[in-house]
Amino acid sequence: MIKIKIKIIGPFIYEAGFSEKELELEQPITAGQLLSLVNLQEGRPKIMTRNGKAISPKEELEDGDRIAICPIYSGG
Amino acid sequence: MNGWTGNLLRINLTTGSVKKESFTEEFARTWIGGRGFALKILWDELKPGIDALGPENKLVVALGPIAGIPAPNTGKTVVAAKSPLTGGYGDGNLGTRVTVELRKAGYDGLIIEGQARSPVYINIVNDRVEILPAGEIWGKGTYETMDWLYTKYGKAAGILTIGQGGENKVLFAVIRSLEGRAGGRPGIGAVMGSKNLKAIVVKGSNDIPMADPPGMKKLGAEDLRKVGEIDKKTGWSVQGTTGVLSWCNEVAALPVRNMRKTSHPDAWRIDGERLNNARVATYGCPNCTMRCGIAIHDHEGRESELDYENVGMLGSNLEIFDLPQLASLNYLCDDYGLDTISAGGVLGFYADAIDHGSIEGNFKFGDAERAKELLRMTAYREGVGNFLAEGSRRMAQEIGRDSMDYAIQVKGLECSAYNCKFIPGMALAFATSPIGAHHKESWVIMFEITQTSRESYGPEKAQKVVELQRIRGGIFEFIVACRFPWIELGWDLQHYADYFNTITGMNWTLADLFKVGDRIYALMKFFWLREFPNWDRTRDYPPKVWFDPSNADKEGPIAGKVLEWDKYEKLLDSFYEIRGWDKRGIPTKQTALGLGLAKEAAEVEKYAKLE
Repeated sequence: MIKIKIKIIGPFIYEAGFSEKELELEQPITAGQLLSLVNLQEGRPKIMTRNGKAISPKEELEDGDRIAICPIYSGG
Repeated sequence: MNGWTGNLLRINLTTGSVKKESFTEEFARTWIGGRGFALKILWDELKPGIDALGPENKLVVALGPIAGIPAPNTGKTVVAAKSPLTGGYGDGNLGTRVTVELRKAGYDGLIIEGQARSPVYINIVNDRVEILPAGEIWGKGTYETMDWLYTKYGKAAGILTIGQGGENKVLFAVIRSLEGRAGGRPGIGAVMGSKNLKAIVVKGSNDIPMADPPGMKKLGAEDLRKVGEIDKKTGWSVQGTTGVLSWCNEVAALPVRNMRKTSHPDAWRIDGERLNNARVATYGCPNCTMRCGIAIHDHEGRESELDYENVGMLGSNLEIFDLPQLASLNYLCDDYGLDTISAGGVLGFYADAIDHGSIEGNFKFGDAERAKELLRMTAYREGVGNFLAEGSRRMAQEIGRDSMDYAIQVKGLECSAYNCKFIPGMALAFATSPIGAHHKESWVIMFEITQTSRESYGPEKAQKVVELQRIRGGIFEFIVACRFPWIELGWDLQHYADYFNTITGMNWTLADLFKVGDRIYALMKFFWLREFPNWDRTRDYPPKVWFDPSNADKEGPIAGKVLEWDKYEKLLDSFYEIRGWDKRGIPTKQTALGLGLAKEAAEVEKYAKLE
């Protein structure tokens, strides 16, 4: 089992039903698999970061990771 | 001339003369409107070296062919002048009913010249133009001024006004409208104040000339509805621009402590979720179905309309993580008519300089009450406020030592709320913004962090900066419309070419419009060169502190990393090469000729040689 923190950003909060929480997950699990566990509309572009750096859906998560999921912003 | 009223209104406040002037079709097709019109007028009519706060400077209010037409999101007006803050070309845009009313009054723009002997305001009702005494509103804040004018002229009137900041020529004073809209970051409000002009009120009742009025009406109405539906579906306007704060905090791009730090554990206290929870009203511009102005009650119980830049610069940058308190700072800036971004940058720089021991003073990061007092003193130029009113670059020149290194500005204009100590492309975007550091020209940061390597200084980043400048600083600034449907909701850019063609009866492609943007960018650089004939590429450098290894984050995603000079120089070279500019950052003669700027190139060569 690994522990990760997940942070939801912007309007995704209202779809997911939370903005931040800690999860315990079975290994191995990828970023894409984690995304499928969160209640977010499919087909809408999403940006994921791990510990502040961009992460692809295929990458495996590790214990202690902080994962942020965000819509695409374009900067006001 | 479908799409344009064909008229500009010239008002001389020294003589009191008012002239309705027509412009040619060639002028319209070459410069289109908004920033294009303003720039060309200022280029043609201003002598280089004039005092930006003297009667020789001109304030231009400029609209574009789709401005004010019911279509997504056409409520924006461009305000421009030679900037007293930067000494170069300065402009900004703001949402206002003036956009709609001025077009209906029969004008695509105003040229305001001279200087009134005593405070005045201008009232325009179609062809009737009055210059009236402003004794009752001079000295008042923008909210009280607007209330006074609404009482006199009705709530539907379009109003542009300045606060005490503009009256007292604070170099980062803006022009204000509506509940919380402001524009003209490089001190365009101070130019208005220098003319003793408190406000402009406009009402119009004519039709705007269009090639296909029923077609445009149908297209505009349908698209306004569709944009509103997309916004509802995506939920964008629930947090509006403020949603991005949490992302900046995650990826180490948040302005914290005069941009010394890139994230903060208390950032959540002022994020989009908290702001939306505190919402008491929502405001927007005319012709908008995705209203982004989130108003909350400030510490004193007043309504304060916030967006991300306000929260980032007056909140995290000053380490003020109390939402009502930062809303108070925002309210005061709006009421005094001060630019919130520069106000946050200036106060942050002041606290940093005190912290460094470079200057004695009474202000610490996190001290909201003292920040309020300093804003008041700045607006009235009282005591140390007279120093702060000059902006961070002049403050650093005065302080000396190494303080210029951590004055977070480019060309004199304070950077918006993105900390670029390790974001090379966004640093380039700030550095090459044609009015000084501003996010509105090219917001490349998300592309850079998520679709390229953050470490890269490759030409793809320069290419993206130019691509965004052509759209954001180009098309949207001259047609004139708000970029939000396109950038935030993915509304296809082609729609704007469609609106342009439906209104004008022309058949232009996006490439045709991009070329106008390139022409405008080249002439903006010529404007700067004419003012500063010894121009060199160092003026396109980001703040030095972003290159200082001792300023690197100690932990987090960019621990130990800062920008690197040699690599930045290569990135800047790539940018110049794509634009067809020389190593100084000046358009070459060949580039100028290709953009139809032969006459302007000959003029600028009186001052500096082109390659």
